[in-house]
Amino acid sequence: MASYINNRISQIHLTSNIRQTIVAMLGVIFGISMYVFMTGFMTGVNNVQNDLAFSSLAHIRVYNDRPADNTNIASKVFPNSVINLHNAKIIKYTDGIKNSNTILDALKSQKDITGITTQVNINVFFKNAGNKVNGSVSGVDVVNENKVFNTSKYITEGNWNELKQRTDGIFVAVDLAKNLSLKVNDNLNILTSDGISKNYKVIGLFKTDVASIDKSKAYININAARQLIGANQTYVTDIQINIKDYNTTENVINKIPPIIPFKTESWQMANQQLVAGSSLRDIIAIAVSLVILLVAGFGIYNIMNMTINQKIREIAILKAMGFSGQDVTQIFLTEAVVIGFIGGLIGLGFGYLIANLVNKIPFEVAGLHNLPMAYKLKDYILAFMFGLVTTFIAGFIPARKASKIDPVTIIRG
Amino acid sequence: MQTDVLLKADNIVKCFYEPVKFQVLKRVSLEVKRGEFLALVGKSGSGKSTLLYVLSTMDTEYEGSLIIKDTLLTNKKQNDLAAFRNEHIGFVFQFHYLLPEFSALENVMIPALKLNKKSKEEVEIRAYENLKLLGIHEQALKKANKLSGGQQQRVAIARALINEPSIIMGDEPTGNLDSKNTQVVFDIFREISKEKGQTIIAVTHDDDFANHCDRIIEMMDGKIINQ
Ligand SMILES: Nc1ncnc2c1ncn2[C@@H]1O[C@H](COP(=O)(O)OP(=O)(O)OP(=O)(O)O)[C@@H](O)[C@H]1O
Ligand SMILES: [Mg+2]
Repeated sequence: MASYINNRISQIHLTSNIRQTIVAMLGVIFGISMYVFMTGFMTGVNNVQNDLAFSSLAHIRVYNDRPADNTNIASKVFPNSVINLHNAKIIKYTDGIKNSNTILDALKSQKDITGITTQVNINVFFKNAGNKVNGSVSGVDVVNENKVFNTSKYITEGNWNELKQRTDGIFVAVDLAKNLSLKVNDNLNILTSDGISKNYKVIGLFKTDVASIDKSKAYININAARQLIGANQTYVTDIQINIKDYNTTENVINKIPPIIPFKTESWQMANQQLVAGSSLRDIIAIAVSLVILLVAGFGIYNIMNMTINQKIREIAILKAMGFSGQDVTQIFLTEAVVIGFIGGLIGLGFGYLIANLVNKIPFEVAGLHNLPMAYKLKDYILAFMFGLVTTFIAGFIPARKASKIDPVTIIRG
Repeated sequence: MQTDVLLKADNIVKCFYEPVKFQVLKRVSLEVKRGEFLALVGKSGSGKSTLLYVLSTMDTEYEGSLIIKDTLLTNKKQNDLAAFRNEHIGFVFQFHYLLPEFSALENVMIPALKLNKKSKEEVEIRAYENLKLLGIHEQALKKANKLSGGQQQRVAIARALINEPSIIMGDEPTGNLDSKNTQVVFDIFREISKEKGQTIIAVTHDDDFANHCDRIIEMMDGKIINQ
């Protein structure tokens, strides 16, 4: 425990040269505020990125994978023979998931799962009179689709829930509608690859800000989709699953395979560029923040060193009067930690302020209005801890040096 | 059982190695009794300050042995020596070293607060009394670096007295004082040595001061020539 007199000496040192104290504190304030701001910004960007991605991507997708490469199927049976096979015809494989109920029941018992929705996705041509655009229509379970993908958020016209009752209704992406000159209440013809054609009524529009989706996608009721391709009432092509924490897909997937004979894919596997982008941003944010903290730490180190050189005679007097090396270390370390603590708190406030200001800068791209920003308590606490540790180390080295001063050599002059 | 001898230095040899090897103290032996008021005199450069630093335990690089209050202090650890100084030794430097950012009163209080045997209030009262004794109580709240040389020296003396140490060492403690204040300091030393049995070793160039002490030790070229 620091004694009263040691603390009093620290206090006098800090207050009698207020300017020096403030300069040291500014270093910490700058370091911490930049740290808070940088991590907030990067997390914000990652969140936007993920939000965009998860508007059309579930955390886990279960689907019927096409069979493996069968271009040379005969050689698999007779690996040592030379077989020439031209124009091989592969027997039609099973499409989609025929009996989805058993799978869904099995999935529902998993704890971490927060939402499941089923889809029947079909590649189609959208036709309006002469205009023909290819794309995909997604037959969806209206309520669950909204739970997993928050679809209603992207609706620009119409009411998402109307799709529940309307097997003839269709929601069309805005750019697709524009290309086909469609408005709400217009009719839209859909042509499947099997040559089936059917008319739907446009009951709403949506905009995801993902260009490829906005140009080619439409939603219909899942039952309407089954009708369109003549599939049974439990047929689905995709089961989309959301879980509590999208970073833990691997854990969940590891529990699923024994139950399901189909391919289970995490968003990370399907979109490695997203994962790479977000990890790279994290690395940049951490690197920049650490460099800033290091610079701030170096600043404190310098100022503490300077202070100790200035006060070398005082330190000698204190030791002559009976202060031990530990007392001296404690006195200067207390000063560093006080600077770190107060500077850290101000830095947090200042960082929050900067984050707030940057958050207000207009940025009209991909559905954003302002620059993104995340405010995570964890980041603030971490920044504060880092700041304290940095100042502690930066203060400890000069304080140790001070404690080793030999009083008699200084006093002799 | 406490012996009458408070301080015993035996064959102290002290050398400096910078810039060239130079022997300052040449087998100095010395005994000082409890309550003795001793003057240390000698020409400039004869080694008075050097001897005092050894006796005060601040300088640890010497040969020979030093015993104060029946405690062998030679080769003790720095931190133990610091604690010993705090309780048993009061020191007035040749160049009155105060802590410049602290008030005169606080400067006096610091060794007592460090010793931590009395409450802050008691220490404050005692410190103020000491300043009053030396006639500078009116400057009590002034910062040390705002005081004149003589005032600073008296604060340093008040500080050396605060823990009522067994031994007070002063390196020309009255060097900056006029004859009136020199007399004040002398009277204080005289009284505490007589009344409280505190030992005083004072380096001085003031013959009058020296002549009124109990004993005079004269140094020349690193040796005691007369005691
Ligand atoms: N740090 C040092 N390095 C080398 N030599 C030193 C050092 N300090 C003192 N000396 C030498 O030791 C000798 C004794 O010095 P000291 O300070 O003890 O003298 P003094 O008797 O106190 O003199 P004064 O009356 O002037 O204060 C001197 O010759 C001095 O030059
Ligand atoms: Mg001297």
